[in-house]
Formats: sequence, C-alpha cells, structure tokens
Amino acid sequence: MLIVIGAVVAVVTTAIAIFIPWLPAQASVQRERIDFVFWLTTWISVAIFAIVAAVIIYCVFKFRVRPDDDSDGEPIHGHTGLEIAWTAVPAILVLVIGIASAVAVARNERIGPDPLRIDVTAVQFAWRFDYPNGVTSPTLRLPVDRTVLLRLTSNDVIHSFWVPEFGQKQDAVPGIFTSLVITPSKVGRYPLPCTELCGLGHALMRSAAIVMPNDEYESWLATAQDERTGVPPPDDEPEDEGEEEPEGDQEGQQDDPEDEGEESAEAGAALFAENGCGNCHTFAPAGAKATVGPNLGDLPDDEDYVRQSIVEPGAQLAKGYQNIMPPYSQLSDEQLDSLVQYLLRGSK
Amino acid sequence: MSTTIEQQHDLHATPAPRPRGTRARLLAPGWLRALWMTPLFLGIGLALVLGIRALAGWDPIWYWQPVLTVAFLTTAPLGFLAGIGCFDYWARYAVGTPTQPEDHSGHGAHSWRDYFRVNTDHKVIGTQYVVTTIFFLLAGGLLAMFVRAELARPGTQFFDPQAYNSLFSVHASLMIFLFIIPAFAGLANFVIPLMLGAPDMAFPRLNALSFWMLPIGGVIMLSSLIVGGFGAGWTGYAPLSTRGDPGSLFFQMGVQWAGASSIATALNFLVTIITMRAPGMTFWRMPLLVWANFTTSLLVVVATPFIAGSQFFAMFDRVLGTDFFTPDQGGYVLAYQHIFWFYSHPAVYIMMLPGFGIASEVISVMARKPIFGYRLMALSLMAILFLGFSVWAHHMFVSGMAGYLRVPMMITTLLIAVPTGIKVFSWLATLWEGKLHFTTPMLFALGFVSMFVIGGLSGIFLGALPIVIHTSDTYFVVAHIHYVLFGGSLFTIFAGIYYWFPKMTGRMYDERMGKLHFWLTFVGFNATFFPMHIIGVQGMQRRIADYAPEFANWNFFISVASFALGASTLIFLYNMITSWARGPRAEANPWRALTLEWQVSSPPPVFNFDEIPQVVGNPYEYGVPGARHAVLNGDRAAVEEEVRVH
Amino acid sequence: MTAHAPAVDVHHGEHHGPPPAHQSSRVSAPVLGMFLFIASEVMLFGSFFTAYFFVRVVNPDAPGWPPEGFHVPVFVAGVNTAILVTSSFTMHWALQSIKRGNRAGLQAGLVLTLAMGLTFLLTQMLEYARVGFAPRDTAFGSVFYGLTGLHGAHVFVGLTLLTVATVRAFRGHFSPEHHHGVEIPGIYWHFVDVMWIVVYATIYLL
Repeated sequence: MLIVIGAVVAVVTTAIAIFIPWLPAQASVQRERIDFVFWLTTWISVAIFAIVAAVIIYCVFKFRVRPDDDSDGEPIHGHTGLEIAWTAVPAILVLVIGIASAVAVARNERIGPDPLRIDVTAVQFAWRFDYPNGVTSPTLRLPVDRTVLLRLTSNDVIHSFWVPEFGQKQDAVPGIFTSLVITPSKVGRYPLPCTELCGLGHALMRSAAIVMPNDEYESWLATAQDERTGVPPPDDEPEDEGEEEPEGDQEGQQDDPEDEGEESAEAGAALFAENGCGNCHTFAPAGAKATVGPNLGDLPDDEDYVRQSIVEPGAQLAKGYQNIMPPYSQLSDEQLDSLVQYLLRGSK
Repeated sequence: MSTTIEQQHDLHATPAPRPRGTRARLLAPGWLRALWMTPLFLGIGLALVLGIRALAGWDPIWYWQPVLTVAFLTTAPLGFLAGIGCFDYWARYAVGTPTQPEDHSGHGAHSWRDYFRVNTDHKVIGTQYVVTTIFFLLAGGLLAMFVRAELARPGTQFFDPQAYNSLFSVHASLMIFLFIIPAFAGLANFVIPLMLGAPDMAFPRLNALSFWMLPIGGVIMLSSLIVGGFGAGWTGYAPLSTRGDPGSLFFQMGVQWAGASSIATALNFLVTIITMRAPGMTFWRMPLLVWANFTTSLLVVVATPFIAGSQFFAMFDRVLGTDFFTPDQGGYVLAYQHIFWFYSHPAVYIMMLPGFGIASEVISVMARKPIFGYRLMALSLMAILFLGFSVWAHHMFVSGMAGYLRVPMMITTLLIAVPTGIKVFSWLATLWEGKLHFTTPMLFALGFVSMFVIGGLSGIFLGALPIVIHTSDTYFVVAHIHYVLFGGSLFTIFAGIYYWFPKMTGRMYDERMGKLHFWLTFVGFNATFFPMHIIGVQGMQRRIADYAPEFANWNFFISVASFALGASTLIFLYNMITSWARGPRAEANPWRALTLEWQVSSPPPVFNFDEIPQVVGNPYEYGVPGARHAVLNGDRAAVEEEVRVH
Repeated sequence: MTAHAPAVDVHHGEHHGPPPAHQSSRVSAPVLGMFLFIASEVMLFGSFFTAYFFVRVVNPDAPGWPPEGFHVPVFVAGVNTAILVTSSFTMHWALQSIKRGNRAGLQAGLVLTLAMGLTFLLTQMLEYARVGFAPRDTAFGSVFYGLTGLHGAHVFVGLTLLTVATVRAFRGHFSPEHHHGVEIPGIYWHFVDVMWIVVYATIYLL
C-alpha cells in the first residue's frame, strides 16, 4: 500500500518534471553543465518528495482515529538506527550535489587560451557593450562557439546581467569589476534582462544577446568599426552624420537609402534605440510606450532645453518626475544634434 | 481533571481605579497622555535638529531628511511610548523616588480596554501581539493582491513603476518584520511562561515596551506609502536605497523599531527560559516549542544588530552624506549585502524555528504519540542555529563577492538540509502508528510539513551553485521564499493560533470553518506559488512591474489563484471574530495535552499558577501508562512519589 | 531595561500576587539580561567593524589609513583612553564599597566615574570640532565618525545609567544585600571601556 502510494506520487512528480517545459532553450556550453546539476537535483528531490508524500498520505488514511477512540498511540520514543540513517543519507546526497556543483562551476569558469573580452557597463536603465576594437553596442553580439569573458561594472546602482538561454548571471556593481564566462553554442537572438532591482525602469531594462555565425560577426564588427573611425560603409553615400547604426536592433529603423533627406533623423532613431531611451519614455515615432520618464511626444520646441535634458537631466525637471535619469554626456555633438532633431520632429 | 481546574479561574488582581479630574486624566498613562506627549516630543525633536543646524551654521536650516529622521521617526514615537506609559516605572526609578509597589493593576485583562494599554501580563501581551500582527498580515496581504492585480496582464494596468515597486517592497517588509517574526514572538509570549511553569516573563515591563515598539515600526512602514513608498525591496540594497525616493528612510527607521522590539523580546525569552523554569524542568524536559524559541532568541540577539547596522549605514549615507557605499569616495557597495545578509539569513531561521516548535507540539498531541527522537529534534535546532551563521553569502553568489567564499558557503548551505531533514522525518515517524485527530491545527501542521518539504527541496536548488547562478533573482526565488515563509511559517502560525485559541480566549473556534479555511488556503497556496517555479526557471526575473508576453498565461493563472488565496483569509477572520465573541466555552484541556499551559484553566488565571508546579517527567509521554509531565497545586504526595520513581 | 529591580521579588501590597518564580539558574535574571544585551551590543559594534573591514581591507582601491591629507590625533585620544580606563577602576571601587556597606565610597566612586566619563565625552566632541574632516569626507571619514560616534553614543547611555545610580546612591538606596542598581550599570560601563580600547586600537593605532 505504502509502496503503491509512493510509486503514484513518484510518477506524478516525474510527469511534472518532464512534461512541463522547465528550462529555456540551451544556447551555451555552460548551460549544459547547469542543466546537468539541475536534473541531478531534480531527480533526488523527486525521490525524497515521493517518500515523504507517500508516508504522509499513507498515515492520513491508515492511522486516522475512529470516532470516540480516546486511546493513545504506541509510545515509540525513537529508533537509533533510523535516526542515523536519515542523518547520513541526506548528508551524502547533498554532498553529491555539492561536489557536482563545485565541479560544474569550476569548469564553467574556465576561460581558455584566447577569450573574446567585452566590457559591459550598466546604467539606469540600459546596457552598453564595449568591444576590444573600440566598437560600442547597446546589444550584445557574439560569435558562436567562442568563449567570451565579460567584464562588468555599473555607473549608478547594482544591475545584473542574465541571459536565460546562457544560464550565466552576474551582478554589475558600481565601483568594482566582476566577470562572467560564456561560450555561446547556438545561433539566435535571446533576451537579456536586468535581474537586480535597479529602480523605476527595472522591468524595462531589457536588451538582447545575438549569437551569430563567426563570419557574420566579423563583418558586423568590421562595419561597426569603420563607422566609428569615420570610414564610410561601402554601400552608403558619404554623409556627415558620423555615428550611424545601420543595424539598430529595433524593427522599422533599418537604413533607408531612398530617403536621404531624413538621414539625420534616421541616425537619431538609431541613437534613440541604442541608448535605450524607449525603456523609460513614451515616443510614438519609435514605438516606445514606457512611462518611467516624461512623454517625449510633448517636448517644447526648444532645442537647448532638449539638449540640456539629455546631457544634464537634473537641470530642469519635468513636473511630476524625479531626477533619476543618468546624464548621457558620452554622446558626441553630432550624435546629440541627430537625437535632438529626431525628438523635436517626432514631437510636433 | 478539567473540573478541578475550573475553580482556579478567579481573578486575583483588581483593576486600578480610573483617574478622576482632567489633570489626573491628562497625566495618567494612556492614550490621552500619548495624544499630547507625541506632539511634544515631535517639537523637541524639531528643536533639536533645527537648533543644532542653526548653531553649526549649516544651510539650509530646514532640511527635510534629518527633520524626518529625528523628529518624525525617532522622537515622536518615543513621545508616544512615554505617553502610553512604557517608561513610567523606570522614570520614577531614575529620579530616585521610591518605585511604586507593584499592585498588579497593570496585570491581566478585565475588559477589552485593557488590551489597549500598557499591560505587563505576558498573556495580554501575547494576545496584543497576535492581533496586531494579524492586522499587518491583512495589510501586507492586501498589498500582495494589488501586486497580483498589476501582474495579471503584461504592460501597465493600475500602478506606475514607482507605485509597483513600493507595493512589493512594503508587502515584504510588513510580512517579514511585522507579521511572521512578531507573530511567533506573540504566540511564544503567551505560551512559554505557562509551559515553563513561570508566573510571567523575567522582565514584564520590558515585555510591554517591546510590544509597543512594534506597531510604531509598522505604522512607519505603512506611512511610507504617503510619500510614495520605498522602492528598493525589503532588502533595500545600497546604493539604490541611498538615493531616489524619500520613502527609503521610512524603511530604514521602521526596521530599527521592529528590530529593537525583536531584540528586547528575545532577550526576555532567553532570561526567562534560563532562570525561571519550574523545579524539575531540566533542559531535556522542556517542550520543543521552548527549545525552538530558545534557539530563535539566540539568533535574534546575536544577528539582529547587523541589520540595524546596515540600515544605519544606508540612512547615514542618505541623511549625513557619508560614503559607506559611495564607490568613488572609497566606499564599498558589497559591504551592505554582507552586513545585511549576516542578519537576514539567520532571520530566515528566526522565521522558521518557532514554527518547527509549534508543529512539534501539535503533531505530537494530535497523533497521541511521543515526539519521535526528542533529543535529536532539540539538537537539530542547535545545529541549524550554528550552521545558520555560516551561510549568509549564499544570497550573494552572483553579487561579485570574493570567489573563494562560494564553495564553502554552498557546502554549509546544503548541509543545513540535514538537520532540517531530521526534523521532517521525525515528524513523519511521530505520525506512524499514531491515532491521528484531524483537527484544524493538525491539518495546518501536516500542510506545513508537506509544503515545507517542497520549500526545502527548492532550497537545495538555490544552494547548488550552478543552479542558483541561473535562478537567482527570478520567480523561482519568489516561489521558494513563499513555500518556506507561507507554506512554512504562515501555516504553522495558523496551526498555533487554532491550537491555542481555546487557551487564549477561553472559547472554541468553529471546526468546520477552520477546515474550510485550511483546504482553501492549501489549494490556493499551491495554485499561486507552484507555477512561479516554472516561470522563474524559464526566465522571468523578479521585482518587475512588466514582463515578457510569453509569461502572460501563467501570470494570469497565478493572479486568479492568489485572489482565491486572499479570500480564504476572510474565512479565518470571520471564524476568529465570531468564535471569540460567541463561541462555545472551551475546556481547560480540549486536546488532552500534557504540557503545562493546558493544566490551568482556559483562559489561564492572572498569575498562571497558584503555586509553582513541580515537573516530574517528559512533556510528550502520550501512550505511556501513568506518565505525568508535572504536578500542580501542592500535591506533595504525588510529587514525592514521582520524584522517587524517576 | 537595565536598571530596574528584578521583576520577581516585588512587594505584593495587599493583593494576592503571583507565586514567586522558581529560580532555575545561579545567575540572577537582571545580570544575565545585561550580559545578553551586551552580546547584542557587541554584534552592533561588529557590524560597524565589518564596514570598517570592507572599506579598509577588502576594497581593492583603498587609500592609506588614514588617507593622505587626513590626520587623527593619536596622542590626545590616547590620553582620553587612559581616562576612560581609569574610570573602570573607580567604578569597581564604588561597587566594592557598597558591598562592604561603605556608602561614602560608593558615592565618591560613582561621582569620580561620572566625571571621567564626562571628560572623555567632551574631549571626544572637541576632537570632532578640530579634527579637520567631516563624516561626508570619503569613506574613511564615514567609518571614523561611525565607530567613534557609535561608541560615543554608548558612553552617553552608560553615563545616563550611572547618573541614575548616583542619584539613587545619594538618596540612600542600595545596601550590601541589594545593589543590582550599581552592579548592572557597572557591567555596562566596563563593556563601554573595553569596547573603546578596541575602537582606539583599530581606528587610531593600527
């Protein structure tokens, strides 16, 4: 009877473990080891839970008192053998989990001979990724099958870097540098949320990790670097709006060579997307609907005010909003021009 | 047995005469005096801050941060405490006048009014605690309902991010600091002196003071909502909590009041347990609830100052402009988390061990069997106490702390599963071959055991390094803490309230409504919190006002289930209120329990015992022929007989 | 909390009071309570020392201690330390006096202890005024003011307790049999002294 109940519980919990899609898709070498420890722990847990549940259910039916039975149960005070067993067996099981975990983590943090080093900087409420050749990107682009060493820090409060498909997570802490090792194993686009409460825009502080085949990655990197150094991209006419981002990660902002008059605004749209403005502000032309900060559709037609609000947000606060926006003083004058023009055009 | 006990139930102390005349009434301790002393002390605080600022020449003289901290959150509450009468005895002592001979007018409750004044009777204080904390349970629960309403659909429904962050922060702070910890303290306050055979706690006036500090902490945390709440979570991580919204100050000061209350109570428990046990009550004859509160109190006394410290630093950074957590001024951000978790991890056991004690009492009595492996049960509590101090950094595995701390901390964390497992298996063995009475407290105790197993197992997931790197700060963690704090602590609090309800009120609760409450809670609880494991592992991070669309279905399901769970609390409330008012009179010992609190009338006499009982045996000897735990009322012959036999 | 009479040996007046509790430990309740309270206080200092440890030791870019441009008056604080340590001896003398029934010794000892404690506190405040930096000047300043300020607050509490004991000593309370009201503030005062030695060593000397 007891064994039957135990078997039934075990089957049910196993079904829950198997048929519910627990873990997200696997896209890194580290996740494989994490998943191994996860399933090891799951099966141990299923076994323990089945035993406990079976005993409780069995007792509930078997030892239920009959009405008007005022007698007492058997005065059993203990059983040394049993007590030793249920001290020793769980101790061994958790040590097994502990050893497996320690080994998995040690392997997960192996860097290998030539990792790709990327600096990650978090601000309220956006990510910035700096590549070794000077390229800066708001999304994390990685070549597949190459180990990456991320070096994280934060400019304001604590943030946390996580890609569920990679399984790896690390806080970005102001004042210190932390590191994280990832070896992407599958091409694709994965969410990259901030997982440490960082203020009003925390829920919207999302970026993406894009894993690309190696050649695609190299060509993206080269294009991005050319733009940064001012060499015009081969398929583009020379324009003075230096830092444009043709592969901005939001839809509807692809380069549109037919409409050259809008070039400045195009650059502005890309900057808007890349700096994560839409994480906090509503702005219809960019499809942004966040309400942490003021609606940028209502900007006054005052170029200086808009410019100042970007580089020095605390100078003149919009009514009803707090001074929580980080200053975007890293933008160049040209970038600022593009962004301001874009905003003013969109808010008319 | 119960008929002879009924006769003890007469009130020895008479209420103090009520003061006559306006002046006497204004000066007598009570709400009227609190009404004018609170603003008086507020004024003193204001004068202090403004005076110092003016003398030192700081500009501006009126700066809201210190004004709020000192005048509104420190001196005004002190004025309230002085007004209500917490300090009267000590004030007289301090100026050297003869202290008033104790006439016990502050002892016992003769009408409902006595529950609203400073009372030194541990039974009144226990009831005050439990009722107050249930109020905060309802307030915190309501906030949780708002959180679930917002999360029912992706996007922004009812609350902007500031309001949302405040909702879950205040929810957690209320539940932890003003419900679970003090609710256990309240039950223990009522029960422990009785269980020990003591007439009261060791320091009754300190006991009253620790109770009255509690609502102050709660009111401070709730009133933070007036200024927009605090949005840094109940963990209040710096530097988020040292900048931005002004509500964080309310959290930082509210924690100080609740923490001071908690330390004072724990100190009182420890001294009571060590110095006031009845003759014959050796440590190995103490009921497990006493053991549990003994270990819990040790944890509170040693660990709570650390959260006080962490909140002082965060407050100084904000009010005085210090640089504890300012990196470019030499501050170190992670210090906050180390100091905070050095308290807040033991706090997890502070919120769990008393529940273990309650479960042990209930299960042994309702299964009519001795608790299985009594000594190992007590020793495993001590093991949890010691291990509990060596695991704090498992909350910080992804925080960027020193890497070498991680594996040792992981091993100690996983090892805590061993003493916890011992307890679970011992409860199961206690059920075995028993005569199980499925009363409401028993249902909640069994619900606790099964839910706590799930919470414990998910705790192993969160202890194993690779898994926790993936799951930390996700809904998996939210699921885990609710399985241990709701399925663990809250279920045992419910078990304890139902179990001692007849003793505390002298009336029986409605058993059918109690059972309905249990089943609704049990089902609603699992439907609400189990799916959170899934969305957490899949990638939904915690503390977010808005989430990715793929989690919409699960979240909608969780929200609906949580409303059912919230509704089940109304049944509990209705049952408690109507039963307290009109329930049938309870016998002295409706559960036929052996421990001492059941050997006196329900409710107990004002001074608990006419004569200190003699303890002659173990507390859980159910089924042992002729076994007694204690002998009451000077039954000298029986005492000598028992002492001779054992 | 610390200086009141034990709850159990109160005078019962005309009412039927509680039965006297059984004393199950050799330590009396107020003394044990004081020791536990001190354990809690030690942990509060512990949290401040933890902050000190992180700022000074763990932080990878910690400057020197004290950082350049900061100066702490080691000598003045040393003299102050001597004053505070001496006050522990006078406190002990006061307690021994009342145990032998010597009221004059009790009063003199308490007054001397009070005076030295006050001197310590005033010196500390003067030091704050002249030290040349404020709590907001780098984490060093924060930790310096945090630890010395926390200790100063404890000296203040200790002095308050001693004042109460002194007032009662001059009003004729305490006897060789009943002197918890001197003994318990005394225990606290010794704790405050010992704690200062630790603070002085870590902040000024090391």
